[in-house]
Amino acid sequence: MNPYGPVAIYLVVAVAAALLFSVVPGLLARAKPNAHKREAYECGVEPTSPVAGRFPIRFYLIAMLFVVFDVEAASFYPWAVQMHALRVFGLLEMIVFIIVLAIGYAYVWKKGGFVWR
Amino acid sequence: MRAPFTAADWAAIYPVGVLTAAALLVLVADLFSSRREQRYGSVGIALLGVAGAAYLAARQFGHNHDAFFGGFIVGGFAAVFQEIILIAAAGSLILYASIGPPQRVAGTTAIMLWSTCGAMLMAGAANLLMIFLGLELLSLGLYALCAASDRRAAREAALKYLILSSTATGFLLFGAALLFGATGSVRLADFVNPAFAVNPLYWTGAGMFLIGLVFKLSLVPFHTWTPDVFEGAPLPVTAFMSVATKAGTLAVFARFIYAALPATIAQDVLLPVWIVAGVSMIVGNVGMLAQTDLKRLLGYSGIAQVGYIIVALAGSTPLGLRYALYYLAAYAFMNLGAFAVAAAISGEAEEGAHLSSYRGLGRRRPWLAAAMTAFLLALAGLPPTAGFLGKILILATAVSNGYPWLAALLIVGTAISLYAYAKVIRAMYERPEGAEPSDVRPFVPLAWLSAGICAVAVIVMAFYPLTPSNILPLAH
Repeated sequence: MNPYGPVAIYLVVAVAAALLFSVVPGLLARAKPNAHKREAYECGVEPTSPVAGRFPIRFYLIAMLFVVFDVEAASFYPWAVQMHALRVFGLLEMIVFIIVLAIGYAYVWKKGGFVWR
Repeated sequence: MRAPFTAADWAAIYPVGVLTAAALLVLVADLFSSRREQRYGSVGIALLGVAGAAYLAARQFGHNHDAFFGGFIVGGFAAVFQEIILIAAAGSLILYASIGPPQRVAGTTAIMLWSTCGAMLMAGAANLLMIFLGLELLSLGLYALCAASDRRAAREAALKYLILSSTATGFLLFGAALLFGATGSVRLADFVNPAFAVNPLYWTGAGMFLIGLVFKLSLVPFHTWTPDVFEGAPLPVTAFMSVATKAGTLAVFARFIYAALPATIAQDVLLPVWIVAGVSMIVGNVGMLAQTDLKRLLGYSGIAQVGYIIVALAGSTPLGLRYALYYLAAYAFMNLGAFAVAAAISGEAEEGAHLSSYRGLGRRRPWLAAAMTAFLLALAGLPPTAGFLGKILILATAVSNGYPWLAALLIVGTAISLYAYAKVIRAMYERPEGAEPSDVRPFVPLAWLSAGICAVAVIVMAFYPLTPSNILPLAH
């Protein structure tokens, strides 16, 4: 078989499954709408505000800073596993990486990026 | 295990490394400087970094080396493009000395330096992954740079650029994936095997890859974002985008069409690109006619100018590439000079972007007006400027390579553009009918210096047609 055969099969299955789950229930199920069913699901608690509400921009800042440190931690794992094999080369690569990150960290700190206001 | 790369590999990225270090230094220095030092300190360190990188890149010229397993080829071709990109970076960074709030200068110059790194990686990239890495490094910085202004238009520009550019990157990446699927390699040099030419995957991949590049080059029909983004972005960023982005993308484009397409099918695959370039020369120049904003005008102008450069590449001859490089270098000086003049008559609000502020400039600032005239004449392709010689060379190569219809479109486009450029020149020198902007902006040394250097370059280049000859081969 062509090596791309499985990809084609996967594509067909994915489209068919998506159609199956999204279209067929709408055709078969009996619809009995009421006001409570149309509410956004909030774990049983009544929603207090519209879902598409506005929230402060600082959440984005926190999220971005989190991603930075998350990625940093994630990139330590492969190095830690292969530390002995990579030897000095790997160590130097990591040191450069940390220096770049530390400068960014110092910059954000000094500029008040961690102050919750 | 030994380190997988040799010292020569590391030497290949010294220029990029110097820029990266300079950007970090800008950030650190900013933390310890007072309000007054922030602006000139950041711009000064950044310009020193650019000068160091330019020196190191120039030293590589003529010494071809396939670094990182053939992923990054330095030497002739890459060195020339890197120098043009560094000139663009210097010409844009220098504008930060007078534009924008001081507390933001450090962050923006650092990001611009990193974007320059991306463009320089694109200049040497010889495999699909390196191309993508360079392109993303360039684009990610630009999204932030576009938004770094208090004007609403800047945010609109940033969002438009982010969404449309990501779409184009998607095309490019999908094309790259298909090319890899068809050939089993990421190295451009492995694509030239004519046996691949029968595979529809290869054609689709090459087509999508080229669509992604054409979008980044903002050729018709993927040009509509350019004027809006150019208008909204801060002045230095517009200057950078109009030259460095195009130079980096052109490097990838040129390397792809010269080194990655089998000679037997190259001209068939590329015919749509030549047509697109031809249409761009007309649409870009027609679009200029009604503009009242300099950045918008130069945005449309850039669409046409990239069209001219692509015409030089039509037929994929080595001579065409040399002429394209000459025109690109000339274009860099014309555009950077025009933006430097705009910055010299701008305050915080970038008044120099409006064409109305050029009324009567010939009497208020005769030297600036003279320089601006030189840049506009060069953009229009009139003697005695580098633009004239560049267009003659491009016309000659287009006709001799068998693309006379592209030469004809180039002449028609140039004729249309004359009106738009001449309108600005007339505004600078005609007797005012209504109210003339009477306030004379204070002398801005660095912007004047930049405009002066660019003006001299635009004139002098017309008499010294530097077309580097030892830039081939592009890949091994």
